[in-house]
Amino acid sequence: MTTRKRHIISILLQNEVGALTRVAGLFSTRGYNIESLNVSATDDPTVSRLTLVTTGTDAVVSQIVNQSLKLVDVVNVDDVTRDQHVERELLLLKLRLGTSQVGAVRAAVERAGGRILADDVESFLIELTDSESQISRFIAHMAQFGEVLEVVRSGALAVLRGTQTLHVT
Amino acid sequence: MKESYATLDSTAHPLAGQTLTGASIIVQVLADEGVQTVFGYSGGAILPTYDAIFVYNQTQSQGGGQRMPLVVPANEQAAGFMAAGYARASGKVGVCIVTSGPGATNTVTPVRDCMADSIPIVVVCGQVGTSAIGSDAFQEAPVAAIMGSVAKHVFLVTDPTKLEATVRTAFEIARTGRPGPVVIDVPKDVQNWQGVFQGSGRLPMAGYRQRMNRLARSVLGEAQATQFFDLLAQSERPLIYAGGGVINGGATKALREFSREFNIPIVTTLMGLGVDDTTHPLSMRMLGMHGAAFANYAVDDCDFLITLGARFDDRVAGNPPKFARHAKHIAQIDIDASEINKVKNVHWHHVGLLPEALHALISHGRRTRFSRDWTPWLKHCADMKAAHPMNYDRESPLIQPYYVIEEINRLTGGEAIIATGVGQHQMWAAQYFDFKSPRLWLTSGSMGTMGFGLPAAIGAKFAHPERLVIDIDGDGSIRMNLGELETVTTYDLAVKVVLLNNFGDGMVRQWQKLFYKGRMSASDKSLHKKDFVKAAQADGFRFAVRLDRKEDVPRVVKEFIEFPGPAFLEVVIDPDAGVYPMVGPGQAYDAMITGDHIVSRTEPVVAEPGASEMF
Repeated sequence: MTTRKRHIISILLQNEVGALTRVAGLFSTRGYNIESLNVSATDDPTVSRLTLVTTGTDAVVSQIVNQSLKLVDVVNVDDVTRDQHVERELLLLKLRLGTSQVGAVRAAVERAGGRILADDVESFLIELTDSESQISRFIAHMAQFGEVLEVVRSGALAVLRGTQTLHVT
Repeated sequence: MKESYATLDSTAHPLAGQTLTGASIIVQVLADEGVQTVFGYSGGAILPTYDAIFVYNQTQSQGGGQRMPLVVPANEQAAGFMAAGYARASGKVGVCIVTSGPGATNTVTPVRDCMADSIPIVVVCGQVGTSAIGSDAFQEAPVAAIMGSVAKHVFLVTDPTKLEATVRTAFEIARTGRPGPVVIDVPKDVQNWQGVFQGSGRLPMAGYRQRMNRLARSVLGEAQATQFFDLLAQSERPLIYAGGGVINGGATKALREFSREFNIPIVTTLMGLGVDDTTHPLSMRMLGMHGAAFANYAVDDCDFLITLGARFDDRVAGNPPKFARHAKHIAQIDIDASEINKVKNVHWHHVGLLPEALHALISHGRRTRFSRDWTPWLKHCADMKAAHPMNYDRESPLIQPYYVIEEINRLTGGEAIIATGVGQHQMWAAQYFDFKSPRLWLTSGSMGTMGFGLPAAIGAKFAHPERLVIDIDGDGSIRMNLGELETVTTYDLAVKVVLLNNFGDGMVRQWQKLFYKGRMSASDKSLHKKDFVKAAQADGFRFAVRLDRKEDVPRVVKEFIEFPGPAFLEVVIDPDAGVYPMVGPGQAYDAMITGDHIVSRTEPVVAEPGASEMF
């Protein structure tokens, strides 16, 4: 019960003033760090989907989930790490490379399943979608080939496997 | 859940289809929601709404209709507490209307106070014009951000066509589920906007409404009831632990029926005072840090604790693992799923509406002819009440605060509405007054806001003009909202104000004596020059009396209670009077100190709390 582990929380939220702040506040009030937070539109224009990654004990996280269900703006909440789920993150990585490194970088990107968006050696731009840990590993690997100019990550996105959804019917 | 805004039939609102200003729409929805009194203070950004109330009342007067009196305090904080007092005493939503900036920020404390005690109020704040928001305009404050972290919900109305539905929805949110405060921030241009009044319609809140519907439909089923009675059947010493949720949930009657049906004694929290008639044999009064010794012993001795609308907070379960240590099982019913297993893990629980849940248990028990003889346990409880009653130094030449409360209680007999500030006097009132029904006890339980009592009493008096309303206050607490003495006389309210003056912050001093080696840092006010009686007289109290001789207590208390109209009574009490029993912060009940006059069943141990346990 007391071991802290990583949790991915999915939240459907009505687009209202301050809604995001109130959700974030529930985590910060308990001293829990939000490791990543992604917010974006859904098929319903009045509703956004948040994906939030935090580390904590099961008991406190389930309490925060219950408390977020008390927020009026919250349509639904789920801790997707409690069940089978798919997790992905998008990376945009900008590097400065020496000309001699380009070949090795191209090969590494291809192996990782990424794409090269710009191949100017002064601002070499790579796109990669993978799990959070794989992305971190990829960035560390790329840093061997050149100077990392910018790291842009979406934060984890996740969805439960199977027919279950967060929608309220 | 989408509602049509356009369909107007014969049941349509009489004003539907008319063009009104945003301000008039606010006032009309308040009237439609049954608001009878509004508390608030005007200012630049709320002027249109104040004007609309004036016009509304003028029109109502001419048409012989019901006016909506506007009660003006000295400070907006008091307006919030008046709305809270009104809500606590009546069970209806209290309303407070204030201006932007300082008007709004002065209500932050009552809004948080209402959130912490689950009290339904709606606060309407003026805001600077929409185009000026975020520009550091005059009297601007980020109300949505500030209130967002303290209220149940906050709306910033930027689209005037949604104003009407927003105000209506605010009332729905305030009163449904676990009640709480809702703030509506309304820019001045939205109040001045003119548009068509629909007469119905609310904002969509898919998730919230679904959760409310789920709560309403949540049935305590047969299997669950069977499990409950299995636990009850195993028990030899069952005890009900009832909190403010019983009052908020309208479950007082059901709770009493449940307790009487199965003969189970009841302890209540501070917020739960009045759920059971404190004079009933099954009532074991209040538990907790300053609970009755016999109540805390009952908690320590019980083997099955039935938690109803209560939440094991730190003033009740200072040491959660040791709380109800002999309880083999704990059951809990609450409307709020996040309260289950929050502090103390329970063996059986139900999330839903309390009256329905209790009725389900009662009828299951009756149907299965559940019967257990708890005579030894009931006798044990009665014996503890007799052996460890509340008591104090009755021989002291100084006026003891408990004595004053006992004398008032003798006259009011558990029927008066009692409001309090926060501190020793609050605990004495909780311990020594009787409460025969709910909504008589108005106190800032969770937030512990000094200054709550006087404005709460004013709000309660507006809710129940026919009832006796008494504010039991302390010198520290009453100072915090002393300006409201004037409000009492301005509205000629027959509110009774009792000031138990011990010339300092008594509860702070008590802790300093116990835990800080008697260093009375900033808590002694014996050199203060304040003359409270003159202050009351200056505010127009025709009855303003200082009571400082013990032999005068019965006579003066009687004159004070019987005086028709506002009355102020300062009682100079023993400055060393303490609040006992006391369970130190973070301590278990076996560390309870009962003082010199309440018989303890164990040797008291004074343990200094850890630094993190202070207050």
